[in-house]
Amino acid sequence: MLKYLKSYHYFKNTLGVLMVFLCQNYFAQNDSLFKAQTFCNEKKFSQAIQIIDKVVLNPETSSDPASWHIRAYAYLQTYKQTGSSNTSKAYLLDTAMYSTLKSMKLDSKSEYKENNDGFIKNGASTYYKLCTILLQDSLNLYRSEKFYNNYRKYTIIINPTFNLKAKDIEYYNAAGGQFGELYTKNNFQQKFGDYAKMALLKVLEIDSKNIAANINLGILYYNQGATLMRELEYDVKLDQLDVVQENAKKLFKQSLPFMMKVYELQPKDARAIEGIEGIYSALLDEEKASEFKQKKEALNKK
Amino acid sequence: MFLLVLAFVSLSFQQQGFDPNAKVKAVFLYNFTKYFEWPPKMKSGNFIIHVIGSNASLNQELNKMAASKQIGNQKLEIKSSQSYDGSIQPNIIFLLNDVSDKLKDIVSKNKGKGALIVTEKIGLAKAGAAINFVVIDNKQKFEYNKGNAVKAGLKTSDELTSLAIAVD
Repeated sequence: MLKYLKSYHYFKNTLGVLMVFLCQNYFAQNDSLFKAQTFCNEKKFSQAIQIIDKVVLNPETSSDPASWHIRAYAYLQTYKQTGSSNTSKAYLLDTAMYSTLKSMKLDSKSEYKENNDGFIKNGASTYYKLCTILLQDSLNLYRSEKFYNNYRKYTIIINPTFNLKAKDIEYYNAAGGQFGELYTKNNFQQKFGDYAKMALLKVLEIDSKNIAANINLGILYYNQGATLMRELEYDVKLDQLDVVQENAKKLFKQSLPFMMKVYELQPKDARAIEGIEGIYSALLDEEKASEFKQKKEALNKK
Repeated sequence: MFLLVLAFVSLSFQQQGFDPNAKVKAVFLYNFTKYFEWPPKMKSGNFIIHVIGSNASLNQELNKMAASKQIGNQKLEIKSSQSYDGSIQPNIIFLLNDVSDKLKDIVSKNKGKGALIVTEKIGLAKAGAAINFVVIDNKQKFEYNKGNAVKAGLKTSDELTSLAIAVD
Protein backbone atom coordinates (compact mmCIF):
# COMPACT_ATOMS: atom_id res chain seq x y z
CA MET A 1 0.00 0.00 0.00
CA LEU A 2 2.84 2.32 0.90
CA LYS A 3 4.39 1.96 -2.52
CA TYR A 4 1.02 2.53 -4.12
CA LEU A 5 0.58 5.81 -2.21
CA LYS A 6 4.14 6.81 -2.98
CA SER A 7 3.58 6.30 -6.66
CA TYR A 8 0.35 8.29 -6.47
CA HIS A 9 2.11 11.25 -4.87
CA TYR A 10 4.93 10.86 -7.32
CA PHE A 11 2.47 11.26 -10.19
CA LYS A 12 0.90 14.25 -8.53
CA ASN A 13 4.23 16.01 -8.10
CA THR A 14 5.62 15.17 -11.47
CA LEU A 15 2.42 16.23 -13.14
CA GLY A 16 3.10 19.82 -12.15
CA VAL A 17 6.46 19.74 -13.85
CA LEU A 18 4.95 17.97 -16.79
CA MET A 19 2.19 20.53 -17.13
CA VAL A 20 4.66 23.40 -17.25
CA PHE A 21 6.66 21.59 -19.85
CA LEU A 22 3.65 20.79 -21.93
CA CYS A 23 2.30 24.30 -21.64
CA GLN A 24 5.51 25.77 -22.99
CA ASN A 25 5.72 23.44 -25.94
CA TYR A 26 2.20 22.95 -27.00
CA PHE A 27 0.25 26.05 -26.19
CA ALA A 28 0.99 27.56 -29.52
CA GLN A 29 0.24 24.35 -31.32
CA ASN A 30 -3.03 23.48 -29.87
CA ASP A 31 -5.32 25.48 -27.70
CA SER A 32 -7.52 22.49 -26.92
CA LEU A 33 -4.66 20.45 -25.56
CA PHE A 34 -3.74 23.39 -23.33
CA LYS A 35 -7.32 23.63 -22.07
CA ALA A 36 -7.33 19.94 -21.25
CA GLN A 37 -4.11 20.37 -19.33
CA THR A 38 -5.56 23.30 -17.45
CA PHE A 39 -8.60 21.29 -16.43
CA CYS A 40 -6.31 18.52 -15.26
CA ASN A 41 -4.35 21.01 -13.14
CA GLU A 42 -7.63 22.18 -11.66
CA LYS A 43 -8.61 18.53 -11.07
CA LYS A 44 -11.62 18.98 -13.35
CA PHE A 45 -10.99 15.68 -15.01
CA SER A 46 -14.41 15.12 -16.57
CA GLN A 47 -14.11 18.46 -18.36
CA ALA A 48 -10.57 17.60 -19.38
CA ILE A 49 -11.79 14.31 -20.83
CA GLN A 50 -14.46 16.03 -22.94
CA ILE A 51 -11.74 18.04 -24.63
CA ILE A 52 -8.92 15.53 -24.75
CA ASP A 53 -11.15 12.89 -26.37
CA LYS A 54 -11.51 15.30 -29.30
CA VAL A 55 -7.82 16.19 -29.27
CA VAL A 56 -6.75 12.59 -29.86
CA LEU A 57 -9.11 12.38 -32.83
CA ASN A 58 -7.81 15.56 -34.41
CA PRO A 59 -5.27 14.74 -37.17
CA GLU A 60 -3.06 17.61 -35.97
CA THR A 61 -2.69 16.24 -32.47
CA SER A 62 -3.55 12.54 -32.77
CA SER A 63 0.09 11.63 -33.36
CA ASP A 64 1.33 13.73 -30.48
CA PRO A 65 2.43 11.59 -27.51
CA ALA A 66 1.47 14.48 -25.21
CA SER A 67 -2.19 14.24 -26.25
CA TRP A 68 -2.38 10.58 -25.35
CA HIS A 69 -0.37 11.11 -22.20
CA ILE A 70 -2.74 13.81 -20.93
CA ARG A 71 -5.67 11.59 -21.85
CA ALA A 72 -4.17 8.68 -19.90
CA TYR A 73 -3.66 10.92 -16.89
CA ALA A 74 -7.19 12.35 -17.03
CA TYR A 75 -8.77 8.90 -17.27
CA LEU A 76 -6.55 7.45 -14.57
CA GLN A 77 -7.47 10.26 -12.17
CA THR A 78 -11.15 10.00 -13.05
CA TYR A 79 -11.00 6.28 -12.32
CA LYS A 80 -9.36 6.94 -8.95
CA GLN A 81 -12.11 9.42 -8.11
CA THR A 82 -14.73 6.68 -8.53
CA GLY A 83 -13.37 4.95 -5.45
CA SER A 84 -10.70 2.48 -4.56
CA SER A 85 -10.57 -0.33 -7.08
CA ASN A 86 -14.04 0.19 -8.49
CA THR A 87 -14.76 -2.88 -10.59
CA SER A 88 -17.75 -1.37 -12.41
CA LYS A 89 -15.78 1.63 -13.69
CA ALA A 90 -12.80 -0.35 -14.89
CA TYR A 91 -13.43 0.85 -18.45
CA LEU A 92 -11.90 4.17 -17.34
CA LEU A 93 -8.75 2.33 -16.35
CA ASP A 94 -8.82 0.44 -19.65
CA THR A 95 -8.95 3.75 -21.53
CA ALA A 96 -6.12 5.17 -19.42
CA MET A 97 -3.94 2.15 -20.18
CA TYR A 98 -4.80 2.18 -23.89
CA SER A 99 -3.89 5.89 -24.05
CA THR A 100 -0.65 5.29 -22.19
CA LEU A 101 0.34 2.60 -24.67
CA LYS A 102 -0.44 4.96 -27.56
CA SER A 103 1.67 7.68 -25.95
CA MET A 104 4.54 5.25 -25.42
CA LYS A 105 4.38 4.15 -29.03
CA LEU A 106 4.44 7.72 -30.33
CA ASP A 107 7.01 8.96 -27.82
CA SER A 108 10.09 8.45 -29.99
CA LYS A 109 12.16 10.89 -27.89
CA SER A 110 11.15 9.21 -24.61
CA GLU A 111 9.94 12.56 -23.26
CA TYR A 112 7.10 10.93 -21.32
CA LYS A 113 8.69 7.58 -20.65
CA GLU A 114 9.06 7.95 -16.90
CA ASN A 115 5.48 9.04 -16.38
CA ASN A 116 4.07 6.55 -18.86
CA ASP A 117 5.96 3.74 -17.15
CA GLY A 118 4.49 4.92 -13.87
CA PHE A 119 0.99 4.85 -15.32
CA ILE A 120 1.48 1.32 -16.58
CA LYS A 121 2.90 0.17 -13.28
CA ASN A 122 0.01 1.76 -11.45
CA GLY A 123 -2.49 0.23 -13.86
CA ALA A 124 -0.98 -3.25 -13.52
CA SER A 125 -1.23 -3.22 -9.74
CA THR A 126 -4.79 -1.88 -9.92
CA TYR A 127 -5.80 -4.65 -12.33
CA TYR A 128 -4.35 -7.20 -9.92
CA LYS A 129 -6.34 -5.70 -7.09
CA LEU A 130 -9.48 -5.84 -9.25
CA CYS A 131 -8.88 -9.48 -10.15
CA THR A 132 -8.56 -10.44 -6.50
CA ILE A 133 -11.72 -8.53 -5.57
CA LEU A 134 -13.70 -10.24 -8.32
CA LEU A 135 -12.34 -13.60 -7.31
CA GLN A 136 -12.80 -13.35 -3.56
CA ASP A 137 -15.81 -11.09 -3.21
CA SER A 138 -17.85 -11.31 -6.37
CA LEU A 139 -16.74 -14.79 -7.45
CA ASN A 140 -16.76 -13.71 -11.07
CA LEU A 141 -14.02 -15.84 -12.57
CA TYR A 142 -14.54 -14.63 -16.13
CA ARG A 143 -14.04 -10.94 -15.29
CA SER A 144 -11.39 -11.71 -12.70
CA GLU A 145 -9.37 -13.60 -15.27
CA LYS A 146 -9.78 -10.75 -17.75
CA PHE A 147 -8.29 -8.33 -15.21
CA TYR A 148 -5.60 -10.81 -14.31
CA ASN A 149 -4.62 -11.02 -17.98
CA ASN A 150 -4.44 -7.22 -18.06
CA TYR A 151 -2.17 -7.34 -15.02
CA ARG A 152 0.06 -9.81 -16.87
CA LYS A 153 0.08 -7.72 -20.04
CA TYR A 154 1.10 -4.48 -18.31
CA THR A 155 3.51 -6.10 -15.87
CA ILE A 156 5.52 -7.60 -18.70
CA ILE A 157 5.68 -4.22 -20.45
CA ILE A 158 7.29 -2.67 -17.37
CA ASN A 159 9.36 -5.65 -16.38
CA PRO A 160 9.95 -8.08 -19.27
CA THR A 161 11.88 -10.50 -17.04
CA PHE A 162 9.21 -10.68 -14.35
CA ASN A 163 8.42 -14.28 -13.34
CA LEU A 164 4.80 -14.47 -14.40
CA LYS A 165 4.74 -18.24 -14.02
CA ALA A 166 4.87 -17.96 -10.24
CA LYS A 167 2.10 -15.38 -10.30
CA ASP A 168 0.00 -17.52 -12.67
CA ILE A 169 0.34 -20.46 -10.29
CA GLU A 170 -0.64 -18.31 -7.33
CA TYR A 171 -3.64 -16.86 -9.15
CA TYR A 172 -5.03 -20.08 -10.62
CA ASN A 173 -4.41 -22.06 -7.44
CA ALA A 174 -6.34 -19.42 -5.53
CA ALA A 175 -9.14 -19.49 -8.13
CA GLY A 176 -9.25 -23.30 -8.06
CA GLY A 177 -9.40 -23.43 -4.28
CA GLN A 178 -11.99 -20.67 -4.12
CA PHE A 179 -14.36 -22.32 -6.59
CA GLY A 180 -13.67 -25.77 -5.20
CA GLU A 181 -14.81 -24.56 -1.80
CA LEU A 182 -17.81 -22.88 -3.36
CA TYR A 183 -18.68 -26.14 -5.07
CA THR A 184 -18.70 -27.88 -1.68
CA LYS A 185 -20.64 -25.15 0.09
CA ASN A 186 -23.27 -24.79 -2.62
CA ASN A 187 -24.58 -28.30 -2.68
CA PHE A 188 -22.01 -29.40 -5.27
CA GLN A 189 -23.17 -27.17 -8.11
CA GLN A 190 -21.48 -28.51 -11.20
CA LYS A 191 -20.49 -25.11 -12.64
CA PHE A 192 -18.38 -24.25 -9.59
CA GLY A 193 -16.65 -27.60 -9.74
CA ASP A 194 -15.92 -27.10 -13.42
CA TYR A 195 -14.49 -23.59 -12.84
CA ALA A 196 -12.25 -25.00 -10.13
CA LYS A 197 -11.00 -27.80 -12.34
CA MET A 198 -10.32 -25.44 -15.23
CA ALA A 199 -8.23 -23.15 -13.00
CA LEU A 200 -6.28 -25.98 -11.35
CA LEU A 201 -5.54 -27.64 -14.69
CA LYS A 202 -4.03 -24.33 -15.82
CA VAL A 203 -1.65 -24.54 -12.85
CA LEU A 204 -0.61 -28.04 -13.89
CA GLU A 205 -0.01 -26.87 -17.47
CA ILE A 206 2.64 -24.56 -16.00
CA ASP A 207 3.91 -26.87 -13.27
CA SER A 208 2.80 -30.48 -13.45
CA LYS A 209 4.40 -31.16 -10.07
CA ASN A 210 2.50 -28.48 -8.21
CA ILE A 211 1.38 -30.16 -4.99
CA ALA A 212 -1.52 -27.84 -4.16
CA ALA A 213 -3.11 -28.12 -7.61
CA ASN A 214 -2.66 -31.89 -7.77
CA ILE A 215 -4.16 -32.46 -4.35
CA ASN A 216 -7.09 -30.10 -4.92
CA LEU A 217 -7.84 -31.65 -8.32
CA GLY A 218 -7.73 -35.13 -6.82
CA ILE A 219 -10.15 -34.04 -4.10
CA LEU A 220 -12.43 -32.29 -6.59
CA TYR A 221 -12.80 -35.32 -8.84
CA TYR A 222 -13.32 -37.57 -5.83
CA ASN A 223 -15.93 -35.23 -4.38
CA GLN A 224 -17.77 -35.11 -7.69
CA GLY A 225 -17.91 -38.90 -7.78
CA ALA A 226 -19.00 -39.06 -4.15
CA THR A 227 -21.67 -36.45 -4.86
CA LEU A 228 -23.20 -38.64 -7.56
CA MET A 229 -23.48 -41.40 -4.99
CA ARG A 230 -24.75 -39.11 -2.27
CA GLU A 231 -27.54 -37.79 -4.48
CA LEU A 232 -28.79 -41.27 -5.33
CA GLU A 233 -32.40 -41.88 -4.33
CA TYR A 234 -32.82 -45.10 -2.39
CA ASP A 235 -35.49 -46.30 -4.79
CA VAL A 236 -33.57 -45.59 -7.99
CA LYS A 237 -33.97 -48.48 -10.44
CA LEU A 238 -31.15 -50.98 -10.51
CA ASP A 239 -30.25 -50.32 -14.16
CA GLN A 240 -29.97 -46.59 -13.37
CA LEU A 241 -27.88 -47.39 -10.32
CA ASP A 242 -25.43 -49.10 -12.63
CA VAL A 243 -25.16 -45.95 -14.77
CA VAL A 244 -24.51 -43.79 -11.70
CA GLN A 245 -21.90 -46.25 -10.45
CA GLU A 246 -20.21 -46.14 -13.86
CA ASN A 247 -20.09 -42.32 -13.88
CA ALA A 248 -18.83 -42.16 -10.30
CA LYS A 249 -16.20 -44.76 -11.10
CA LYS A 250 -14.90 -42.62 -13.97
CA LEU A 251 -14.57 -39.64 -11.61
CA PHE A 252 -12.83 -41.70 -8.93
CA LYS A 253 -10.41 -42.99 -11.57
CA GLN A 254 -9.77 -39.43 -12.75
CA SER A 255 -9.02 -38.43 -9.17
CA LEU A 256 -6.41 -41.14 -8.65
CA PRO A 257 -3.50 -39.91 -10.86
CA PHE A 258 -3.48 -36.49 -9.18
CA MET A 259 -3.27 -38.01 -5.72
CA MET A 260 -0.67 -40.55 -6.88
CA LYS A 261 1.41 -37.70 -8.25
CA VAL A 262 1.44 -36.03 -4.85
CA TYR A 263 2.31 -39.35 -3.23
CA GLU A 264 5.20 -39.86 -5.68
CA LEU A 265 6.53 -36.39 -4.95
CA GLN A 266 5.88 -36.48 -1.21
CA PRO A 267 5.56 -40.10 -0.02
CA LYS A 268 4.85 -38.95 3.52
CA ASP A 269 2.03 -36.59 2.66
CA ALA A 270 -0.77 -37.72 4.98
CA ARG A 271 -3.51 -36.12 2.89
CA ALA A 272 -2.35 -37.92 -0.25
CA ILE A 273 -2.11 -41.29 1.51
CA GLU A 274 -5.52 -40.88 3.10
CA GLY A 275 -6.94 -39.66 -0.19
CA ILE A 276 -5.60 -42.64 -2.13
CA GLU A 277 -7.03 -44.99 0.48
CA GLY A 278 -10.43 -43.31 0.05
CA ILE A 279 -10.26 -43.44 -3.75
CA TYR A 280 -9.36 -47.15 -3.83
CA SER A 281 -12.08 -47.84 -1.32
CA ALA A 282 -14.59 -45.99 -3.53
CA LEU A 283 -13.32 -48.05 -6.46
CA LEU A 284 -14.02 -51.15 -4.34
CA ASP A 285 -10.37 -52.19 -4.54
CA GLU A 286 -10.04 -53.36 -0.98
CA GLU A 287 -6.53 -54.73 -1.44
CA LYS A 288 -5.12 -51.38 -2.52
CA ALA A 289 -7.24 -49.48 -0.02
CA SER A 290 -5.86 -51.70 2.74
CA GLU A 291 -2.29 -51.11 1.51
CA PHE A 292 -2.69 -47.36 1.84
CA LYS A 293 -4.58 -47.69 5.11
CA GLN A 294 -1.53 -49.48 6.51
CA LYS A 295 0.73 -46.74 5.16
CA LYS A 296 -1.47 -44.14 6.84
CA GLU A 297 -1.35 -45.99 10.14
CA ALA A 298 2.42 -46.40 9.90
CA LEU A 299 2.76 -42.68 9.26
CA ASN A 300 0.55 -41.84 12.23
CA LYS A 301 2.70 -44.00 14.53
CA LYS A 302 5.83 -42.01 13.72
CA MET B 1 5.00 -3.25 -6.97
CA PHE B 2 2.72 -3.94 -4.03
CA LEU B 3 0.24 -6.69 -4.65
CA LEU B 4 -2.36 -8.35 -2.50
CA VAL B 5 -1.66 -11.94 -1.63
CA LEU B 6 -4.37 -14.23 -2.91
CA ALA B 7 -5.70 -16.63 -0.32
CA PHE B 8 -5.17 -20.27 -1.19
CA VAL B 9 -8.00 -22.58 -0.16
CA SER B 10 -7.13 -26.16 0.58
CA LEU B 11 -10.06 -28.45 -0.20
CA SER B 12 -11.15 -31.39 1.89
CA PHE B 13 -12.57 -34.80 1.09
CA GLN B 14 -16.31 -35.07 1.52
CA GLN B 15 -16.05 -38.53 3.00
CA GLN B 16 -16.60 -37.73 6.63
CA GLY B 17 -19.84 -39.47 7.50
CA PHE B 18 -20.38 -40.61 3.95
CA ASP B 19 -19.29 -43.89 2.41
CA PRO B 20 -20.25 -44.25 -1.29
CA ASN B 21 -20.19 -48.03 -1.04
CA ALA B 22 -22.53 -48.06 1.93
CA LYS B 23 -24.96 -45.92 -0.02
CA VAL B 24 -24.87 -48.26 -3.01
CA LYS B 25 -25.53 -51.29 -0.81
CA ALA B 26 -28.43 -49.50 0.88
CA VAL B 27 -29.93 -48.73 -2.53
CA PHE B 28 -29.53 -52.38 -3.55
CA LEU B 29 -31.16 -53.65 -0.34
CA TYR B 30 -34.10 -51.31 -0.79
CA ASN B 31 -34.50 -52.41 -4.39
CA PHE B 32 -34.40 -56.11 -3.50
CA THR B 33 -37.62 -55.67 -1.53
CA LYS B 34 -39.44 -55.00 -4.83
CA TYR B 35 -38.54 -58.39 -6.27
CA PHE B 36 -39.57 -60.75 -3.46
CA GLU B 37 -42.78 -61.59 -1.70
CA TRP B 38 -42.48 -62.41 1.98
CA PRO B 39 -44.74 -64.90 3.76
CA PRO B 40 -47.94 -63.36 5.26
CA LYS B 41 -46.59 -63.48 8.83
CA MET B 42 -43.65 -61.27 7.74
CA LYS B 43 -45.93 -58.64 6.22
CA SER B 44 -47.04 -57.15 9.51
CA GLY B 45 -45.05 -55.17 12.02
CA ASN B 46 -41.82 -53.55 11.01
CA PHE B 47 -39.83 -54.62 7.99
CA ILE B 48 -36.58 -55.61 9.66
CA ILE B 49 -33.13 -55.64 8.11
CA HIS B 50 -30.73 -57.38 10.44
CA VAL B 51 -27.10 -56.53 9.78
CA ILE B 52 -24.71 -59.06 11.28
CA GLY B 53 -21.06 -58.00 11.47
CA SER B 54 -19.14 -54.72 11.61
CA ASN B 55 -19.70 -51.83 9.25
CA ALA B 56 -20.50 -48.56 10.99
CA SER B 57 -21.00 -46.54 7.82
CA LEU B 58 -23.39 -49.13 6.39
CA ASN B 59 -25.45 -49.09 9.58
CA GLN B 60 -25.50 -45.32 9.50
CA GLU B 61 -26.65 -45.30 5.87
CA LEU B 62 -29.34 -47.93 6.48
CA ASN B 63 -30.68 -46.03 9.47
CA LYS B 64 -30.80 -42.90 7.35
CA MET B 65 -32.77 -44.84 4.75
CA ALA B 66 -35.10 -46.25 7.41
CA ALA B 67 -35.90 -42.74 8.57
CA SER B 68 -37.26 -41.79 5.15
CA LYS B 69 -38.50 -45.00 3.55
CA GLN B 70 -41.15 -47.67 4.10
CA ILE B 71 -41.62 -51.08 2.55
CA GLY B 72 -45.27 -51.08 1.53
CA ASN B 73 -47.13 -50.35 4.74
CA GLN B 74 -44.29 -51.57 6.92
CA LYS B 75 -41.97 -49.26 8.73
CA LEU B 76 -38.34 -50.01 7.98
CA GLU B 77 -36.24 -50.99 11.01
CA ILE B 78 -32.52 -51.68 11.10
CA LYS B 79 -31.06 -54.01 13.70
CA SER B 80 -27.39 -54.69 13.95
CA SER B 81 -25.34 -57.11 15.97
CA GLN B 82 -22.01 -58.83 15.80
CA SER B 83 -23.55 -62.30 15.96
CA TYR B 84 -26.78 -64.01 14.97
CA ASP B 85 -29.70 -63.33 17.30
CA GLY B 86 -32.52 -65.87 17.02
CA SER B 87 -34.95 -63.61 18.83
CA ILE B 88 -35.00 -61.23 15.86
CA GLN B 89 -37.39 -62.18 13.04
CA PRO B 90 -35.87 -60.26 10.13
CA ASN B 91 -37.12 -59.89 6.57
CA ILE B 92 -33.54 -59.50 5.40
CA ILE B 93 -30.38 -60.81 7.01
CA PHE B 94 -27.26 -59.06 5.73
CA LEU B 95 -24.28 -61.12 6.77
CA LEU B 96 -21.14 -59.01 6.47
CA ASN B 97 -17.74 -60.18 5.37
CA ASP B 98 -16.18 -60.40 8.82
CA VAL B 99 -18.72 -62.96 10.07
CA SER B 100 -19.43 -64.73 6.80
CA ASP B 101 -18.22 -68.04 8.25
CA LYS B 102 -21.55 -68.16 10.12
CA LEU B 103 -23.55 -68.45 6.90
CA LYS B 104 -24.16 -72.19 7.01
CA ASP B 105 -25.54 -72.01 10.55
CA ILE B 106 -27.73 -68.99 9.78
CA VAL B 107 -29.12 -70.59 6.61
CA SER B 108 -30.13 -73.73 8.47
CA LYS B 109 -31.76 -71.76 11.30
CA ASN B 110 -33.78 -69.64 8.87
CA LYS B 111 -34.88 -72.30 6.40
CA GLY B 112 -38.45 -71.59 5.33
CA LYS B 113 -38.83 -68.67 7.73
CA GLY B 114 -38.97 -66.01 5.03
CA ALA B 115 -35.67 -64.22 5.56
CA LEU B 116 -33.75 -63.06 2.50
CA ILE B 117 -30.10 -63.84 3.20
CA VAL B 118 -27.63 -61.41 1.65
CA THR B 119 -23.85 -61.78 1.83
CA GLU B 120 -20.78 -60.02 0.43
CA LYS B 121 -18.07 -62.61 -0.07
CA ILE B 122 -17.04 -64.53 -3.18
CA GLY B 123 -18.70 -67.93 -3.43
CA LEU B 124 -21.45 -67.44 -0.86
CA ALA B 125 -24.31 -67.50 -3.35
CA LYS B 126 -23.36 -71.13 -3.87
CA ALA B 127 -23.08 -71.72 -0.14
CA GLY B 128 -26.60 -70.74 0.91
CA ALA B 129 -27.09 -67.00 0.35
CA ALA B 130 -29.89 -65.88 -1.96
CA ILE B 131 -28.00 -62.73 -2.88
CA ASN B 132 -24.26 -62.15 -2.74
CA PHE B 133 -22.59 -58.80 -3.48
CA VAL B 134 -19.58 -59.00 -5.75
CA VAL B 135 -17.25 -56.41 -7.23
CA ILE B 136 -16.88 -56.45 -10.99
CA ASP B 137 -14.91 -53.81 -12.87
CA ASN B 138 -14.83 -51.48 -9.83
CA LYS B 139 -18.61 -51.60 -9.49
CA GLN B 140 -20.96 -53.25 -7.07
CA LYS B 141 -22.92 -56.10 -8.65
CA PHE B 142 -24.77 -59.05 -7.18
CA GLU B 143 -25.16 -62.75 -7.67
CA TYR B 144 -28.61 -64.22 -7.33
CA ASN B 145 -29.36 -67.79 -6.38
CA LYS B 146 -33.10 -68.18 -6.91
CA GLY B 147 -33.08 -71.68 -5.43
CA ASN B 148 -31.72 -70.40 -2.12
CA ALA B 149 -34.40 -67.70 -2.01
CA VAL B 150 -37.13 -70.28 -2.52
CA LYS B 151 -35.63 -72.50 0.20
CA ALA B 152 -35.73 -69.50 2.52
CA GLY B 153 -39.50 -69.32 2.00
CA LEU B 154 -39.70 -66.37 -0.37
CA LYS B 155 -41.70 -65.97 -3.56
CA THR B 156 -39.40 -64.70 -6.25
CA SER B 157 -39.59 -62.64 -9.39
CA ASP B 158 -37.82 -63.68 -12.58
CA GLU B 159 -37.18 -60.03 -13.32
CA LEU B 160 -34.37 -59.94 -10.78
CA THR B 161 -32.54 -62.70 -12.63
CA SER B 162 -32.08 -60.42 -15.63
CA LEU B 163 -30.43 -57.77 -13.45
CA ALA B 164 -28.17 -60.18 -11.60
CA ILE B 165 -25.39 -62.66 -12.16
CA ALA B 166 -27.37 -65.85 -11.91
CA VAL B 167 -25.93 -68.61 -9.73
CA ASP B 168 -27.34 -72.09 -9.39
